[in-house]
Amino acid sequence: MSKLLVVDDEANIRLLYSEELTDEGYTVETAANIAEAVEKLGQQSFDLAVLDIKLKNESGIELLQKIVKERHDMPVILCSAFSCYKDDFSAWLADSYVVKSGDLTELKEEIKRVLAKKAQRRASGL
Amino acid sequence: MEITAITEWECCWDRDSIVMGDCPNIGEGDEDLLSSRSRRILEKCCECEKFKRDLARFRDSGHPLAPIFSILHADYRRQKTQIQSLANFLDTKTLEVRFLHELGSVLQSSVDLDEVLSVALTAITAGKGFGMNRAFLLLADKERHILKGHLAIGPRSAEEAGQTWQEIESGDQDLQGLSQLFLKDKLTAERNKFHDILERLIIPLDDEQHIIARALEERKPVLVTDAFHRQDLDIDFARLLGVDTFLVLPLIARNRRVGVIIADNFITHRTITEQDMRSIETFTFPVAFAIERASLYERVQEEVDKLKHANLRLQEQQEQLVRMEKMALVGRITSSIAHSIRNPLMVIGGFARSILKNTPDNDPKRTFIESIVTEARQLEEVLGEILTYSDALFPTCDFWDPNQLVESALRDVQERAVAQDYSCHFHAGEQLPSVYIDFKQTTYCIRNILLSTIDGLYNGIIDVSTRVEGDHVNVRIVDRNRTLSEDELEALLTPFTETCEMGSGLNMALSRSMLDKQNIPLVVVAPPEGGVTYTIKLPTRKEEQPYE
Repeated sequence: MSKLLVVDDEANIRLLYSEELTDEGYTVETAANIAEAVEKLGQQSFDLAVLDIKLKNESGIELLQKIVKERHDMPVILCSAFSCYKDDFSAWLADSYVVKSGDLTELKEEIKRVLAKKAQRRASGL
Repeated sequence: MEITAITEWECCWDRDSIVMGDCPNIGEGDEDLLSSRSRRILEKCCECEKFKRDLARFRDSGHPLAPIFSILHADYRRQKTQIQSLANFLDTKTLEVRFLHELGSVLQSSVDLDEVLSVALTAITAGKGFGMNRAFLLLADKERHILKGHLAIGPRSAEEAGQTWQEIESGDQDLQGLSQLFLKDKLTAERNKFHDILERLIIPLDDEQHIIARALEERKPVLVTDAFHRQDLDIDFARLLGVDTFLVLPLIARNRRVGVIIADNFITHRTITEQDMRSIETFTFPVAFAIERASLYERVQEEVDKLKHANLRLQEQQEQLVRMEKMALVGRITSSIAHSIRNPLMVIGGFARSILKNTPDNDPKRTFIESIVTEARQLEEVLGEILTYSDALFPTCDFWDPNQLVESALRDVQERAVAQDYSCHFHAGEQLPSVYIDFKQTTYCIRNILLSTIDGLYNGIIDVSTRVEGDHVNVRIVDRNRTLSEDELEALLTPFTETCEMGSGLNMALSRSMLDKQNIPLVVVAPPEGGVTYTIKLPTRKEEQPYE
């Protein structure tokens, strides 16, 4: 069973993600800020992270860079309220990008796709 | 010695007054001399043949004073001739000074190099000026260290000379008029006429062996004679001018070598004198200063133009900075709106869906929850459009392949088109030039048009084509399945309106707005007999992109 880390500063959104993704069969851990996320990443192993780009006074891109640098084997999906973040080159480090929506179908499909890709990479020894 | 008494004289000098007709040298206008004996003797009698004969008779009379009278008379006549000669010289000089003054005034008042050169060369060649046949101006190119032919004036054949001089004669123009006429009508023609000579008139400035370079270096005019047989003049140079005698007049201003004027009498072969050389030499000083000043003015003007250009660019950059500040502001506002609205919407919609999943079909509250899901989704869509609209305020343009653009938009709608059994036929133009557009926004617009076209309809055909028309590549989308009234067409392109036929109007209005920002016209034609044609005119050239 894949284990996901969801990072979002909004408690309700963390709850929504947690409920929906658990229903999909994932094990979900959540974090409200970068420090909490880094702490959990240090303690546990995750298969994928779902990051909100805008975290109150912090930037999800900053966390993305940390993950890419230290946990380069863990894929990241960025979520944002505004599609223009796609134009930020730093966001291109992520494996996928999803605009936030009450309909989580796109996010769920992306999680499946990215995890499958990761599995495929592992299988081919990359 | 015996003195013969003479009682009768042939001339009238012994009479106090005479009447008209008594003296052959007194005519109309000399009436006051009739009664003024002394003036008559000095002005008329001394030159009169009768008086000379009287004087000879007096000399022969044996009177001891007679030889003295003859000596005095001869000396008086000699001095009178000298005075006359001096008076003529003074008259000539006065005319020359007036002429130079007139030229100086014109030269001083002009900062136009062509005007200065026209005045200078016209003055040298005009009959009312120095009357030389031809004049060549060579200017110093200090970067290349050469003297180079710049302009020439004068006839190239006797026939042309006759015709030109006749025209000048009949025109009765003063020197200024002639030079203005030359500047207006003949400057370019003369430059072209002498082009073959001018382009070969090149002399290294530091060639001390060359008489022209040396004249400039020594700052002294030279009257070159026997040009075809001189050691200090290249025979080819002499052949180029075609004359064996010519004047070389250095142009020096503020101790700087400006250039050289070469003047000759190619047609008339009139002898060029030292006096000619001195006269023209005087004239070359104001010419050199005027050329130097006009050249400096041209350079200053160039610098002013550069400054103006730099200032304009600075203004543009300032405006761009303001725009960027506005962009940043818009970015902050939209980001804030996005987070303030989208996050709660997402939570509402998301939890409503979660609840809906676990709500039995027969639960009476299911309809309410479904309403929440639907409304939240609609609000999300509207929010998405508004955010895209604000994003569209600032296009980022570059050159793109128009066919690639259309193919990208067609790929985006393919799934939807297939689901609605729609066929999109793309007729790609061949060898199309690149178009200057914001690729992302323009693709969005084409995609929107295609989606609007297939919206709500099934089993249709859309024809899309690209074709060059002038400075544009036209993307034409033809929808034959729909008919729009005038009102519907107007509503289609107005933001936040709805048509019965085509649903929410924001997408199409947004497309037009995005294209407007890039100065790309979108023409929609919906004839009453049916069908709708959308034409997007994509520019192939980069132009100023208005942002406001």
